[in-house]
Amino acid sequence: MSPDEASHHRAFLRQFTANEAAIRAFVRRLVPARADADDIMQEVSVVLWEKFGSFRGDGHFRAWAFGVARFEVLAWLRDKGRDRLVLSEKIVDLFGAEAEAREPRLERQREALEQCLGEFAPEQRDLLMRAYQPGARIATLARESGRSEPGFYQWLYRVRKLLFDCVRSRLGKEEVS
Amino acid sequence: MKTDPEPLFERYLDGRITGAEMSELNEVLEHDEKVRSDFVDWLNLDAALAAMSHGWVAMEEIGPSVVRHSWIRRVAIAASVMLAAGILWFWQDSTRSCAVVAEQAGANGLKAGTRIRGERFELDEGTVKLLTRQGAELVIEAPAVFRFESPQRLRLEKGRLAAEVPPVAKGFTVVTPDGDAVDLGTRFGVDVPAEGDSEIHVFEGEVIATGAGGDRSLRGGDALVMNRGNGDARELRSAAFIQADELPALDAGLAAGQQARSRVATEALKSDPGLIALIEFDAGPRRPGLYRLVQGRWPGSRAAEFVEVGDHLRLEIGGDHSWPRLTLAAWVRLDHLGAPYQSLLHTDGWSEENPGQVHWMINGDATMRLALRENVLAAGSEEKNGYPDSGTPVLSEQGRWVHLAVVYDSDKGTVRFYLNGRFDRETRQSLAHPARLGPAQIGNWDRQDRKLSGRIDQLVVLGRAMSDEEIGEYYEAGSPYR
Repeated sequence: MSPDEASHHRAFLRQFTANEAAIRAFVRRLVPARADADDIMQEVSVVLWEKFGSFRGDGHFRAWAFGVARFEVLAWLRDKGRDRLVLSEKIVDLFGAEAEAREPRLERQREALEQCLGEFAPEQRDLLMRAYQPGARIATLARESGRSEPGFYQWLYRVRKLLFDCVRSRLGKEEVS
Repeated sequence: MKTDPEPLFERYLDGRITGAEMSELNEVLEHDEKVRSDFVDWLNLDAALAAMSHGWVAMEEIGPSVVRHSWIRRVAIAASVMLAAGILWFWQDSTRSCAVVAEQAGANGLKAGTRIRGERFELDEGTVKLLTRQGAELVIEAPAVFRFESPQRLRLEKGRLAAEVPPVAKGFTVVTPDGDAVDLGTRFGVDVPAEGDSEIHVFEGEVIATGAGGDRSLRGGDALVMNRGNGDARELRSAAFIQADELPALDAGLAAGQQARSRVATEALKSDPGLIALIEFDAGPRRPGLYRLVQGRWPGSRAAEFVEVGDHLRLEIGGDHSWPRLTLAAWVRLDHLGAPYQSLLHTDGWSEENPGQVHWMINGDATMRLALRENVLAAGSEEKNGYPDSGTPVLSEQGRWVHLAVVYDSDKGTVRFYLNGRFDRETRQSLAHPARLGPAQIGNWDRQDRKLSGRIDQLVVLGRAMSDEEIGEYYEAGSPYR
């Protein structure tokens, strides 16, 4: 790599790593399955890197990335999502338009999540993480943890609800203080 | 529709939603801003959980805590645990993440977000900031070799580490080949050089140093060389450690292409007809003297570091010539000491018979001095000690890389000082001899009060007067920060 290429690469990586979680969450918001979100996210990161040269350094990287991601998601919805149960394009456009404004709050939520998860018993945390891993099989996890499959989904719901409430109450406190 | 939308969210999340429910969800999302906001929060939580799960290694591999109910299972697991007992501790250490890479500058291979467990790292270049699971901030500078034994215990085989430890991580321990540093809620540094003894420096708070000679309590401002019986106190090397707040500026400098700019500027200097000497440490044979080679301003580059009182580097510059004009410039990272003098460049021939011999140094009050033998200050000069000094201190309390320069002109009788490319002050000489160099030293000169504590990356000796603009440009091109 020439020094120029190296610094171009570094500039991209810095922007991308700083905003990756936000872009990933944005994509996740628009498609029904995590696996699809992962696929689209890969595509988005490639496009971002390829087009980084045309991105104006003084512009807002995240807003630009949201735009790129939204485009990729719409293409995916029209192509692969046609026969699937997906959000309407209207909703996708709405989320796209609202993304920047929502982001600061969502970022604080993601940070608070780490702490909330820390309050869980280790085995609960472990089970939840395994349920979220790519390729996780809920039926297997249910069996291993001595639950029926619907029982496991129930458990997942309860855990997410607890985390959701914990995150919100933490942010609530933050806003008060 | 007034039903609770959360079950819909859940079914959508898990891919179990039906066609009718999907239409319902689309409908309610479009028209109800509150539901939309809740939905976004739920999906955000889901995305964050998915991101976290990527670095996760299942607990089942290290213990039986997930599975219960069946007694057969329990027996089987107990048996496998006994079989695995020998390697169990290893699993526990190596499968949990102890820290995460928070930031880095030039540390290729350790990008931000990388989770670190019990693996051994060899960091050849750059600087990296790690955040431990308990929230301790560690900045480690290459060349370094380290490994976490647990989130609260780091083995540092080589390298330089600055730690900031919050109260919750009290007890965080750095293990060195020469002893341990146990933190009691504080900021401290540990230096494990490639050659020489490990050192502990405490900037704030309290640290217990445990070594062959027992425990010693160190407090803010204390420093200790380990492995010498009970350890020897030494002066705090305030600039030796890259601290967390310096890292972003270093990273930004790299991202802005400063390293390449600096290389270009250095090449240009090499073809300057006025060049007398350009002292660098990246290439060529090791220059004679007593000093350490450590990382310079750039990842993987080299600088000379002077630590012990007797450390020095010998030079032979400029021969027997006389130089009516002289520019001295250097990138340095020096400790702020109370000591009387730090010696940047001292010629050996300093005596009455050799007017014009050059001594360039830092005074005890951190101002910079350029002394030429037998020169005389102009009447009314502010300096009380008979030599031209800079107007402002050139070293900060907490060291960073700084650029020092001084331009001497015997015809005009002026000495002009510069700090980080900016003109500081001009002092006039009523008697000004042409400058003379010859055999000289960086670092210890008389084995007593003229030492040097810190790093020198590049030293330029030029037989002409650089202009203000040139000095400014030279600084801009060579700065590792942005």
